[in-house]
Amino acid sequence: MHNLSIKNKLTIGFGAIVAIILFLLTLAYNNFARLSQANAWDRHTLEVLLETNHVATSVLQVQSATRGYLLTGHETLIAPIHNEYENAGKHLRRARELTADNPAQQERLRQLEPMLVTWMDKAITPQIDMRRAAGKDGQSISPETETAVLAGTGSVATIRQLLGETAAEESRLLEQRRQETTALRNSMNMLLSGGAVVCVLLAVLIGTVLVRAISRPLTSLSEAARNFGRGTQGARAEVLSNDELGAMALEFNRMAQAIEDSQAKEQADNLALRAKVDALLDVVSKAARGDLTGIVTIRGEDAVGRLGEGLATMLGNLRSLLNNVQRAGIQVASSATQIAASARQQEATGIEQAQTSVEVLATTKEISANTAELLRTMEEATEVADYTTSATADAQDKLKHMDHTMQQMVNATDSIGAKLAALSEKASNINGVLTTITKVADQTNILSLNAAIEAEKAGEAGRGFSVVATEIRRLADQTSVSTWDIEQMLKEMQSAVSASVMGMDKFAEEIRRNVGEARHVAEQLSGMMDQVRKLAPRFDLVLQGMQSQAVGASQISGTMMQLSDASQQTVESLKATSEAVHQLQYAAGDLQQSVATFAVHE
Amino acid sequence: MKVLVFHIGRERYALPLTAVLRVLPVARLKPLPGAPHYVPGLLDLHGEPVPVVDLSRLAGTPPSAVRYDTRILLLDVPAAGRLRRLGLKAERVAGIADIDAQLRDGGVAAAPWLGRVAAGSAGAGGETSCMLQLIEPARLLAPEVAIELFAGVPA
Repeated sequence: MHNLSIKNKLTIGFGAIVAIILFLLTLAYNNFARLSQANAWDRHTLEVLLETNHVATSVLQVQSATRGYLLTGHETLIAPIHNEYENAGKHLRRARELTADNPAQQERLRQLEPMLVTWMDKAITPQIDMRRAAGKDGQSISPETETAVLAGTGSVATIRQLLGETAAEESRLLEQRRQETTALRNSMNMLLSGGAVVCVLLAVLIGTVLVRAISRPLTSLSEAARNFGRGTQGARAEVLSNDELGAMALEFNRMAQAIEDSQAKEQADNLALRAKVDALLDVVSKAARGDLTGIVTIRGEDAVGRLGEGLATMLGNLRSLLNNVQRAGIQVASSATQIAASARQQEATGIEQAQTSVEVLATTKEISANTAELLRTMEEATEVADYTTSATADAQDKLKHMDHTMQQMVNATDSIGAKLAALSEKASNINGVLTTITKVADQTNILSLNAAIEAEKAGEAGRGFSVVATEIRRLADQTSVSTWDIEQMLKEMQSAVSASVMGMDKFAEEIRRNVGEARHVAEQLSGMMDQVRKLAPRFDLVLQGMQSQAVGASQISGTMMQLSDASQQTVESLKATSEAVHQLQYAAGDLQQSVATFAVHE
Repeated sequence: MKVLVFHIGRERYALPLTAVLRVLPVARLKPLPGAPHYVPGLLDLHGEPVPVVDLSRLAGTPPSAVRYDTRILLLDVPAAGRLRRLGLKAERVAGIADIDAQLRDGGVAAAPWLGRVAAGSAGAGGETSCMLQLIEPARLLAPEVAIELFAGVPA
C-alpha cells in the first residue's frame, strides 16, 4: 500500500466501484430482458385467445343465420354464411400458426378443422338446401331437417368444447408466466438494493484510505515548509511513503539543504569581498589625492579580482601616461619651437612659391602657344601623310611596271645570249675554214719550194719555172699572212663574244637580282603604305590629343592663377600658424607644470 | 747560187738548193731506241724508212714547238761508203735565197758540219738578213753515227 503511487491508488479505488456498478447493471439488464420477453409471450397468448374467440363468433354467426333462414326463408339471411365460414377458417389457420411451438394446442386445432368442414357440409348446407326446396310457404320443418339441425348442434358443441379447451390451456400458460415474472421482479429488487449498499460501503472505505494516504504526507510537508520559512535551521519534511509525495518531500529536503549551503557560502564571499573592496578603496583614494604609487594586490577570476586587475592596469597606464605626458610636454615645447622655425621657413617658401606660380603661369601660356603651333604642324603632317599615301600607291604601280620591264629585259638578255652562242659557233666554223686555208697555203708553200728545187735541177730550162715557183711562194706567204690576220681577228672576236656572253650572264644575273630587289622594295612599299594608311587615323588622334592639350593648357593657366592666389593665402595662414605655435609653446609650459604635481615614482 | 734558208735557234742557216731533194711537211716519226738524242726517229717516205736528224738538237739549242713552217728536208749524204737518204728537221724554213759567190770561210771549226759564211743581204721576202752560214751535208753525220744508222741497210 505504501509503495503504490497516488495515481495508482485512485485508479484502483474508483476502478473497484465502477466494476461493482457494471456488474449490477449487467444483472439488471438481463432481468429486464427476461421481463420484456415475458411480456411478449403474454401478448402472444392473448392473440391466440382472440383468434379462438373469432372462430367461436363466426360459428355462432353461421348457426344463427341458418336458423333465421329456416324460419323465414329469406335468401338475404344466408348471404353472410359463406363469408363467416371463410373467416372461421382464416382465424383457425392464424391460431395454428401462432401456436406452432405448442404440440398439444396444435393437435386440438388440427382436429377442429375437419370438424368445421364436416359441420358445414353435413349440417348447414343440407338444412339450407332442404328449406330452399320446401319453398316459400312449404313445410318448414321436416324430419330430415330436424336430424340435420340436431347433428349440426352436436358438431357445434364439440367445436365449442375444443375451443374452450384451447382457451383454458392458454390461460393456464398465462398464469404460469405471470408468477415467473413476479419472482423475477422480486429477485431484481433484492439485487439492486444489495448492490447499492455494497457500492456505498466500498466508496466510503476507499475514500478513507485515500484521504489518509494523501493528507498525512502533505501535512508533514507543509509543516516543514512553514518551519523553514520561519528560518528554523534543520527543518526537514518526514518521508512517509514512496509515492509522488514522498519524492516531493525528498526533493524539498534536498532544496532546503542546498539553500542553507548557499547562504553560508554567500556570507563567506561577502566578508572576502568587503576586505578586497577596502584594499581597493585605499589605493583609489591615494590615487585621488594624486599619489599614483599605490599597488593593487587583488587578483582573481571574480568580478572584484578583475576589477583589481583592471585598476592595476589603469594605474599602470595612468603612470605611464603621466610619464608620457611629462615627456610629451617637453617634446611639445621643443617641437613648438621647431615648428615656429619651420613656419618662418615655410613662410619664406610660400612667398617663393607664389613667385614660382607666376613663372609657371608664364610658362603655361608659352606652352599653350606652342601647342597651338604644334596643332598647325600636325595638320600639315596629316596632309603630308595623305600625300605620302597617294605617292606610295603611285610608286607601287611604277614598281610593278618596272618589274614587268625587268622581266622583259631578262628575256631579251636570254635571247642575246642565245644569239651570241650562235655567233661563237659560226666563228668556230670560220676557224675550221681557216685551218683548211692554212693547210692549203702550207701545201702551196712546200709545193713552191719543191718547184724551185726542181727548176734548179733543170738548170737553164727551169729558169722560167723558177720565177713561177717564186710567185707561187709569195702568194702562199700572203695567204698565210692574211689567214693569220683573219685568225687573230677571229680570236679577238671570239674572246669578245665570250666576254659578251659572260657580261650578258652577269647582266642577266644583275637584272634578276634587281627584279628581286624591286619586288622586295614593292613589298616594303606596300607595307609602308599600310603603315602610312594606319598613320592617318593616329595623326587624327594626335590632333585631337593636341586640341585637348590646348584646352588643358588654358585650364592649367587658370588653375595656376588660382594656385597663385592660394599661395598668397598660404603665406597668410602660415603667419597665423606662427602665432598659434607661440600660443602652443605657452600651453606646453602650462602642461608641464600641471603634470609635475603628480607623484609617479616611489 | 741558190740556197734554202732556215733557222737554228735565232740564227739563219742554209743548204745549197742543189743538195736538197725535196721539202716535206713534218710528219709523225717512229722513235729509234738507242739512237743519239739528235735523231728523233724514222720517217715513213712512201714505205721507205729514212732516218731524220733534228738540226736544233744537233746544234745544242733547245727545239721550239713544231710550227707550220717546220719542214723535213730530204737529202742524200755520203755515209758508209755511198749516198744515203737522210731527213733534216729544220725550223722556220724561210724560203729560197740567191746569194753571190763571195763566201768566206767561217774560220772557227766549232762543229764539223758548219760551212762557209755569206754576208748579210736582202733575202727572200725583202727583209734584210744578217749573216748566213751554209751547212755541209757531207759532214753532218759523224762516221760512227753514220755506221750506226746505216750499217744494217744494204746498198
